[in-house]
Amino acid sequence: MPHHSVAVTGASLTPFNRRRDGTSWRDWVFDAYSTALAMSDLEPVDIEEIFLASESDFFSLQLNPASILATELGLGGVAVTRCEAGGASGQVAVHAGVRAIRAGGARHVLVLGVDPSASSLSGDAMRALYGFSFDAWTDGMAGVTSTALYALSYQAFAAHHGTTEADLASVTRQNRANAMRNPGAHLPRGDTAEQINESPMIASPYRRLHCSPLSDGAAALILSRRDAVPSTRRSAPGIAGIGASTDHMHLGARSDPGAFAAKTRAMERACAEADVMPKQIELAEIYDAYAGAQLQGVMALGLSDAPGRDHQDGDFAPDGRCPVNLSGGLMGQGAPVGATGVGQTATCALVLEGRYHAGLQPQTLPNYALADTHGGVCTTAAVTILQREAAV
Amino acid sequence: MIRRTLLLEYGLEPGWMAPFVEGLLKGDAMARRCGDCGIKSFPPHRTCACGGSGAVWVCLPGTATIQFRTTGSDGDFALVQFDGADTSSVVSLQGIAEGQTNGRISAPDDAVPKLVLGPIEENNR
Ligand SMILES: [Zn+2]
Repeated sequence: MPHHSVAVTGASLTPFNRRRDGTSWRDWVFDAYSTALAMSDLEPVDIEEIFLASESDFFSLQLNPASILATELGLGGVAVTRCEAGGASGQVAVHAGVRAIRAGGARHVLVLGVDPSASSLSGDAMRALYGFSFDAWTDGMAGVTSTALYALSYQAFAAHHGTTEADLASVTRQNRANAMRNPGAHLPRGDTAEQINESPMIASPYRRLHCSPLSDGAAALILSRRDAVPSTRRSAPGIAGIGASTDHMHLGARSDPGAFAAKTRAMERACAEADVMPKQIELAEIYDAYAGAQLQGVMALGLSDAPGRDHQDGDFAPDGRCPVNLSGGLMGQGAPVGATGVGQTATCALVLEGRYHAGLQPQTLPNYALADTHGGVCTTAAVTILQREAAV
Repeated sequence: MIRRTLLLEYGLEPGWMAPFVEGLLKGDAMARRCGDCGIKSFPPHRTCACGGSGAVWVCLPGTATIQFRTTGSDGDFALVQFDGADTSSVVSLQGIAEGQTNGRISAPDDAVPKLVLGPIEENNR
């Protein structure tokens, strides 16, 4: 079987926020696609396949959205696939696109992610729907919220690793501070640790400011076979490795309910493909649905064996050894579910090319970047390692 | 703005999980004991971690010990270990005071089959 290498020729995110401007999710997709296509120096006729991440028809009231978007984008006739894996939907769509090119099925594919998670339904309706993201017949029927399940998992993690309220505040402050330099971010905030620790308790130890928001938005990637990359786009970064895995759907059936074991396995698979070690990662967009989930993620990915200490020491700050969530992450930039994983990978690609927001772009370009996404309480994990293309 | 309201009424057949669901409605903790390794899972697993799928239903005593508890505006929930089970369970807590470490499975008051843990005393049978 042919195994072609894959480059990211186009990458774009719309702002993530709660839209109040009369635009629709179809508009956001159109904007993200148009910007990514312009960056790729390709033409619409070059796109052979679309992979769309969108978590739920409940949010958009549109079943079969991929074919609708093919028409809207003027790409009628291309093959389409809708990808869904809860919060990991976007990264799973990236993987599907990568596999299509590697296998020789297409030279250029469009990966889209979108969800109107903020503006189409009430917050209560969204929380009720999210409650069915876990095992609907056990956790869902018991009325356990996403925040409560994550809180229980984090408590197990904190009991094992000794992380504290100060560590949660440290993650929260860093992600929201990064968001202040991201013009497309939903929650740019400069809360003090005291303000964070006094925000309303949602599910102990998680307070409102420890949680990511529900956002509207879209993201797009154009993936291209390396030997088909336009001559003007030779600096396009490559996909070095992908990996995915699952964990038991019930927290209580896991040998350690505080460990994101699926993420560890996904990372091992991606590192094996990329032939890198976690310590070689110099930039990471990590799935911080909650502040503690970032600590759990950093640990599971092998980026630290003492995540609380390393956060407080600045290892993951914008000028640290491995900046984490430069974008602000889900907590700062926002979380339009289907767009999240596509947006994380787009962010990594833009940074590796030196094309990210001026206030956040590192002066020294990283060699390897990691996009880490999961669904459920890390029930599905999908990670992608990107590599900077040597100067041409 | 396009406004549209949907009212959805689901009727979901529980299939192989029927004994578990019926148990919840009565306040019984029905677990599955794997025919191969003997592990008792609750909530029940169709396929055991050992790979075995042959299993029998067993009724646990219904008492449980709280391992981790979360409280706030979303409600009161816990990860608990039911006596006789080899896995832990996420439950909704009803009437369990702060600091109390034990409870007993309790039938839901709204006919929704859900895992509820209430005080041991009130549900003594
Ligand atoms: Zn077994």
